[in-house]
Amino acid sequence: MRPLTHWFRDTTQDLGLRVIAALGLVLYLVFIVLPVFMSLRSSFTDENPLKAGSNWIGLANYREMLHDTQLRDSVVYTLALAIGVTAVANVIGLLFAMLLDRTDLSYRVLRTIAFLPQVISGVIVGFVWKTILTQDGLLNSVLTRSHLVSHPVDWLGTPHLAQVSVGVVVAWVLSGFTTVVYLAALQNIPRELYDAGSIDGANARQQFRMITLRMVAPATTISVTISLITVLKLYDVIQVLTSGGPANATQSTAQYIVKTAFSSDRFGYASAIAMFLLALSAVIALSVTSLLRRREVDL
Amino acid sequence: MRRRSAVVAAAGLLLLAGCSSATSGGGSGGGSALTYMTFNTPSLTPAFWKTSIARAEKAVPGVTIKQIVAPSTDRDSYAKQLQASGQFPDLLESITPSQYTDAGLLQPYDQSWVDQNFLLPQGNAIKGKVYIPPTNSQIIPLVFYNKTLFAKAGVQPPKTWQQFLDVNAKLKAAGITPMELGGNDPFAAAMPLTGAISADVLGKDPKWIQERYAGSVKFGDADVVTAATKMRTLVEKGYFEQGALNVSYADSIKNFNAGKAAMYPMGSWYLGSIPKDQWNTIGVFPWPTDDGSLVLPFAVGGSMAVSTKAKDSAGAMAFAKAWSLDPGNLKALIEGDGAYPMLKGKTLKDYGATVSPAFTNSYAYVTGQNTKVAAIGWATSDDALPGSLNNDFYAAAQALFNSSDVKGQMAKLDQAWSTATK
Repeated sequence: MRPLTHWFRDTTQDLGLRVIAALGLVLYLVFIVLPVFMSLRSSFTDENPLKAGSNWIGLANYREMLHDTQLRDSVVYTLALAIGVTAVANVIGLLFAMLLDRTDLSYRVLRTIAFLPQVISGVIVGFVWKTILTQDGLLNSVLTRSHLVSHPVDWLGTPHLAQVSVGVVVAWVLSGFTTVVYLAALQNIPRELYDAGSIDGANARQQFRMITLRMVAPATTISVTISLITVLKLYDVIQVLTSGGPANATQSTAQYIVKTAFSSDRFGYASAIAMFLLALSAVIALSVTSLLRRREVDL
Repeated sequence: MRRRSAVVAAAGLLLLAGCSSATSGGGSGGGSALTYMTFNTPSLTPAFWKTSIARAEKAVPGVTIKQIVAPSTDRDSYAKQLQASGQFPDLLESITPSQYTDAGLLQPYDQSWVDQNFLLPQGNAIKGKVYIPPTNSQIIPLVFYNKTLFAKAGVQPPKTWQQFLDVNAKLKAAGITPMELGGNDPFAAAMPLTGAISADVLGKDPKWIQERYAGSVKFGDADVVTAATKMRTLVEKGYFEQGALNVSYADSIKNFNAGKAAMYPMGSWYLGSIPKDQWNTIGVFPWPTDDGSLVLPFAVGGSMAVSTKAKDSAGAMAFAKAWSLDPGNLKALIEGDGAYPMLKGKTLKDYGATVSPAFTNSYAYVTGQNTKVAAIGWATSDDALPGSLNNDFYAAAQALFNSSDVKGQMAKLDQAWSTATK
């Protein structure tokens, strides 16, 4: 692979393309790389969003993180949510994709509907689901009127149930994305493989295990990694749905960062937590990608 | 070659457009254009803001307002986000000034103007300076009650804590839900805790919050734990609606107005949400104390703070003063937000507002001689809580629904206090 500088110097490349690529690179550096470094610098200070200037305090913010019980709780919940939601959203996504892997017009319409949760803003998703899950909401109305429960269920009011409810909503959102990813992968599987499997006497279950699962392995890597990263930085849906409550039970790490920065006025400490979350996300994403890539080769 | 030149030219134009828009944004075409951060509630609607801003703009020629609406009622967090991104508004509605004064972000109002116009000129002062005109006040919480349901259960508005428990018990025995809460919104969940600690702890020691700042008292002290235990008692006895933490604030208003519960502990702003056809049905009493003495958790509020960075400082201050004294705005706030007016030399009649009997009765607590203490978690004066402690206080109230460890929850508040005052 040639270094990037060669690509820019290579006069055989179209000048227009090089300008556009340079513009993209500048935007990436300014809006992604630079803020990360600014945040890293801030994490070693006592920066306050209301005050000019800050003092260098070394590793004090990072040391404090070790004893911060609210941070610990939010990280544990975020990790549990990421693992649970990723598993559920990918299973549902694959099932939906298999159901929708047809070319008829009605299936194409259904595919669009399946993708809807992903394109709706997280804020709107939160508001809609809040309407569904509150005490007099749609779900409780249906359950009580059909006599499936005698009293409305406290979906967002008890800590454990609220945690599960948030998980269900986020899995619903992500299943739109995973469905599309798996659908694209399924459509690239040559039909001849299934024909050959049938001739060899493989039943539907064996065909799923030996052909479908193996052929969608690269899509699984992408889908699982992106799902994990999405949940690890989740903010908007939870903020609208539960505001992190009851009693911080559904507070994600991203919410805790915002609260620390803009309610407690501890921008430096919030930056340290953000750096930790970035490192955690990177380690998880790299580990999972490497693990799943190895699995792709094995398959 | 032509295609290449066109792409380069387009990129150049894009860059130029970006630069030119960055430098031409401040033009106001004559007078000053000021940013004003507001927020919406069921009472303070977009229509209210539009009308009130237009009226004050008319009073200060040359000033035009660009409204910035906070995405939630937590306007302090939003104001800080704006500050961090270099967009601190010129005018900020109903913020907690104590969080900004140390950083020198707010300019105090002219004290003689404040003294001249308001009943309690130092009602929300910080170190003697007023950053928000004390135009109105609130009692947080009051206990609203449904007279029909009280009559059905054969109970009267209570004065003491024991009477309050008895009323709850009788209502429950009569098959009536004693209390509506709306605890899905943390501030609403905390109403009983605010009432209990304000009345019991600050009622006996009005300087308690200042002493907490000094470190001589703590949330973990026995008197605070005893007061907080009252909320836990109400939870354990099942006096709140079923699934109280699964009911939003907006739904709690609808439920109470529909007669689904007999009592509703809420800030006095609920007065603005009582439907006219319920005016004779809904009554009000103060949060009950152990001995029945009248202690009112009180907060002097008001209108807007003015940024020291305001583009047109004089214009911003003139707009803020005009808005704060505008009779139409005050009338709208009284009727729509249940705000108790605090202007000097004026009676309720002078505002021409049409209010419910519950408003008139509770306003008598404001004008009468009684013990008024800071409503903990709501005061914006020197008694405002530090940092994000309001949020921690509300979270503690929600936690008391699922934990009997009252002392542990209060200890968490002490820990949060230490962090907030670092």
